[in-house]
Amino acid sequence: MNAPTLAALQTAFHDHLLDRASTIADAVVEGGRADTAHRLHIYHHAYRARLQDNLRDAFEKTWAYLGDDAFDAAALAFVEAHPPTHRNLRWHGAEFPQALAARFPDDPDIAELAGIDWQLRRAFDGPNADPLAPEALGAADWERAGFRFVPTLFLAPLHTNSAAIWHALDQDQPPPAAAPLPAATWLLIWRKAWQPHFRSIDAEEYAALAQLLAGGTFARLCAALGARLGDEAGAAQAGAWLGRWLQDGLIADLAPGAG
Amino acid sequence: MTRATASIRKPSPGFGLGLRPVHYPDFLDAPQRVDWLEIISDNYLVPGGKPLAMLDAVLERYPVAMHGVSLSIGSTDGLDRQYLADLKQLARCAQPLWISDHLCWTGVAGRNAHDLLPLPYSEEALRLVVRHVGEVQDTLGQRILLENVSSYLEYRSSDMSEWAFLRRVAEEADCLLLLDVNNIYVSSINHGYDAQEFLRHLPRERVQQIHLAGHSDHGDYIVDTHDHPVAEPVWALYREACLLFGEVAAMIERDDHIPDLAELVMELDRARAIAAEVLQSCEAAA
Repeated sequence: MNAPTLAALQTAFHDHLLDRASTIADAVVEGGRADTAHRLHIYHHAYRARLQDNLRDAFEKTWAYLGDDAFDAAALAFVEAHPPTHRNLRWHGAEFPQALAARFPDDPDIAELAGIDWQLRRAFDGPNADPLAPEALGAADWERAGFRFVPTLFLAPLHTNSAAIWHALDQDQPPPAAAPLPAATWLLIWRKAWQPHFRSIDAEEYAALAQLLAGGTFARLCAALGARLGDEAGAAQAGAWLGRWLQDGLIADLAPGAG
Repeated sequence: MTRATASIRKPSPGFGLGLRPVHYPDFLDAPQRVDWLEIISDNYLVPGGKPLAMLDAVLERYPVAMHGVSLSIGSTDGLDRQYLADLKQLARCAQPLWISDHLCWTGVAGRNAHDLLPLPYSEEALRLVVRHVGEVQDTLGQRILLENVSSYLEYRSSDMSEWAFLRRVAEEADCLLLLDVNNIYVSSINHGYDAQEFLRHLPRERVQQIHLAGHSDHGDYIVDTHDHPVAEPVWALYREACLLFGEVAAMIERDDHIPDLAELVMELDRARAIAAEVLQSCEAAA
């Protein structure tokens, strides 16, 4: 038999790793202390073990929430369905929350928890940005000023108490029973210094952030709040949010708004 | 020829350890009995955050070598230009002692196994690797080091020994070698060859660095797990390597069950002691 080309050999080897029909055994030398099937199994096993370990690492709270058996089964199913294509292993798992949503359709808290794990990981080594010092606001042209937010800022809707579950697991406490949230809530994730943070925000704060993220000015936000709450209450609300965003290190700089 | 090749490898910076995040505080808070550190390059190919901040702080205190796991120098897919560009950017910041990766392939057809898979020791694989090393060295502007990987199978299409393949890659691509003594031991048991013969056939002037690590013995075969202290037969092989290759930068890799830094520093002391003893005996003999 002619030896396979290197490309054919590598494809056959990878097919074996992926549990597809493969001719790799024909290309392997027989004999020695372990038989060919055993030798090939070492690689087959190591492939799955490494990717499962990586998912355990990236989805630490989800792993704690589901327990070893349920997590490992879900991770293995994901590994089989999503062979890594990225050069860096850190990106394998981006679709794991969606896979958990499909696997546990009656438990949306699980996929949401995994989403929090994943986005915290992304924030951990996301792009740097120094937070804006509050004193810098003194120089703002408030007619035109908007904000540039830190690049690790991430927003997503929350439908369950997954944030409370995450916090409980983080404190090694028993998590609360999963429950739907009574009102529309959003998850806000960002990194301050070297530490990723998150908190849940209500629909109004989300709308304000979304408006500013889209390039709106702070003046326009104040005007909209004033029209709805009255000038004084509107200005107080906008000021309170701005104070919190600055304290949290969410704002990187002033930026001319688009209206 | 001898005069020219004698200067291929750089002088040894001494004895190092693989930098792992759990030891960041130890390295940043106090001086340690460690001459240099090896980073996993891939862990720092990130946009920002703590890993790069820690690396900056470490670079103020220690010389660093860059060791990658994703170059996939032997893949028929060809090289990943973006990965190379990212490595080059990291090297610009880190100014490493040198840059290394493995003589293996990690994926094909756009899929990545994230494992260091063995190549057949064939003319076809040799030509591919030599071409790729040339491209990498042209891009990075320096010689790279290639490390021998541990393996659990051999291919029928191999038409030379692993050491002959390693030697020809190094000489024909004009690159350097990162000799993993544990991997040589692991593969020698798994494939039934003489580990000392492996060492004796390598080009001394191209051995720039040595890796030491632990393994797991499964009876029928040994797996390169990096989760144990260096085993006695590997220390014996290291002594042999010191005799053959002289003063070479050596370091210990530990990737799982990572102990306190003090324990690894003590293990590294053993490497220092072995190297010093061999060097002294060679000088005495001379």
